[in-house]
Amino acid sequence: MRPFTSWLGAAALACLLPGLAVTARAAGPIVIGETTSETGPLNVDAQYQLRGTQLAIDEINKQGGWLGRKLELRVYDDQSTPGTAVRLYTRLITDDHVELLLGPYSSGITQAVAPLINKYRMATIEPGASLPDIFQKGNEWNVQGIASSLQYLEQVLPLAKQKGAATVAVVGLKSAFSLACYNARVEQAKKLGMNVVYTATYSLPGPDFNGMALAMKNAHPDVVLGCTYYPDAVGFTQALHNQGFAPRFLALTIGPVEASFLKDVGPLANGIISNTSWWYNFKTKGNAKFIADYKATFHEDPDYHAAAGYSAVETLGAAVAATHSLDQAKIRDWLLHHKVDTVQGQFMVDQYGLYMGQGQQLVQVQNGVLKLITPADLAQAPLEVPYPGT
Amino acid sequence: MLAAQLIIDGVLLGGTYVLVAQSLNLIFGVMGVVNLAHGSFIVLSGLFTAWFFGLYGVSPLLLVPLTFAVVFAAGVVLQPVLLEPLVKYGRRMELMSLMVTFGLNYVLVEIALQAFGSNYVTVPYLQGVWSWHGITVSQSLVAAGALGGLLALLLHLGLNRTTFGKSLLAASQSEVGALSCGIDVRRMRLAAFAVGVGLAAAAGALLVLVLPMAAESADQLTILAFVIIALGGLGNYRGVAVAALLLGLAQSAMGFLVGGDAETVLPYLLLILFMAARPKRFARAVR
Repeated sequence: MRPFTSWLGAAALACLLPGLAVTARAAGPIVIGETTSETGPLNVDAQYQLRGTQLAIDEINKQGGWLGRKLELRVYDDQSTPGTAVRLYTRLITDDHVELLLGPYSSGITQAVAPLINKYRMATIEPGASLPDIFQKGNEWNVQGIASSLQYLEQVLPLAKQKGAATVAVVGLKSAFSLACYNARVEQAKKLGMNVVYTATYSLPGPDFNGMALAMKNAHPDVVLGCTYYPDAVGFTQALHNQGFAPRFLALTIGPVEASFLKDVGPLANGIISNTSWWYNFKTKGNAKFIADYKATFHEDPDYHAAAGYSAVETLGAAVAATHSLDQAKIRDWLLHHKVDTVQGQFMVDQYGLYMGQGQQLVQVQNGVLKLITPADLAQAPLEVPYPGT
Repeated sequence: MLAAQLIIDGVLLGGTYVLVAQSLNLIFGVMGVVNLAHGSFIVLSGLFTAWFFGLYGVSPLLLVPLTFAVVFAAGVVLQPVLLEPLVKYGRRMELMSLMVTFGLNYVLVEIALQAFGSNYVTVPYLQGVWSWHGITVSQSLVAAGALGGLLALLLHLGLNRTTFGKSLLAASQSEVGALSCGIDVRRMRLAAFAVGVGLAAAAGALLVLVLPMAAESADQLTILAFVIIALGGLGNYRGVAVAALLLGLAQSAMGFLVGGDAETVLPYLLLILFMAARPKRFARAVR
């Protein structure tokens, strides 16, 4: 009898253990997993996004967390490479058993992890993926948390045309986001009847940019549009100057909104146009508190990546609160059908998770300070033309 | 005018490459070590220069001798500890030194990441341009290219005109021959490594003036230096200088004619073509 009772006891314990583990996990914090690019060429913008996310989680924890449980952010460094991110998201889901996920930074990395998120059916808000192609039928576990890359610099060409510009040069980094932006701007220029006189793509770590800058100078464009990330935004700005070329309009997507850009290129930043999906004077819910808390915590100004990271947590929290659960299907369905007021504006998506909320606005560096120049009702200064390039 | 502009840009870009390659050439030639940590010495120095400039506004050109001296001293410490003990393993030393410098590269990149972060940085210094009849020349590119070329020339003169330099060359050509002439080959290996990494640091302080640089740029710079050496010929300092200038010219022309994609891939393409066209010379270079 004794061996039988021992086996019975062991079997009973084996049955109880998973339940005990679940109880222990339920009593502990809700673990939210994500990767970020702590290293690699995407790290500057990725770190803003991470800091925004971290700030939101800290604030929620001060208020008691979600569903009576504190939040814990588990972050791994994807080194700005999609392959590493896929491996790390697999680890977050299958080894760490995180209960919620947030997306990584950049469209290219999100594009790589999106099938994994679908496979494991994790409702995931992606605040760093502007590429619209990710958010389509069959991919609905991925929910976009920022404006589409097709909108980046969209307002520049109509503005430039109004001011007499007729010729355009477009360059783009070979990444998912940048190429979507690059193709959209080339098509837009053609539709506007503007003459596209130069186009080129490149990869990072980059070339020295002087050859392309000289080719641009030789093509005499009125407008130069760069679908860039941070390092190439710096490289292009310097190379155009090296070639003694200052187009009337110089607009770069990612880079100029970061504080370090002004430091790295110095006075050459003046006059550069860029875009943002969030700004200090947006009359959005909680914006003033977000800015104050971010500055107090990180001793720097936030940017729109930080606002996107913060807003993603706000949105996820609204879904958890409304559904009263961490059930992935319930959260996903709620996100697809509801609006949430966040610091970067109203979150809303279409039936496939494509972001339909706040679009991109334009900013320009004027006397070493970024100023919002669109929309008209919030603009801090009018557009200054031409780009001085000195 | 356009051709003149392309040539000037290419030569100056090549000038920055000369020092990057010659410093590796020295270590490779005398020690037979492919220093896979070469690029990390360059970026450590470049990142330090950007950090120091940001903090104190000191001219990066003044930091060239400082970074050389500090990294030279580091080389004097590292070589006897990491590489000299491998000499006794004879032919196997080449593979072992690859592994050691591979590890050293990881350590140095990690130090760079911890000390300076992972951001791409550059130094907004000498941002002006000189213009003449439609040709513009960036002051920072002139400073980096000309100083890089000058330091490489000094290395060349030092190797060929001084007794110590000739001893270094002798050690690189034949260890047995050098020993029979009474040259302290062990000391030559130490000097080659220390001067080589010191010059790599000097190159880093100059390169950061013209190229955005991050800790992760280390591998790219090592490969670039290796491609130039393979093209110019191991131990052939003139050949390497010419190869660096030609690569700068070719990249400048490619960037203009085709775009950045072609410019980035050009060094690798040239290496493959060279390996296919001159396999024996390539084998000599890596032996």
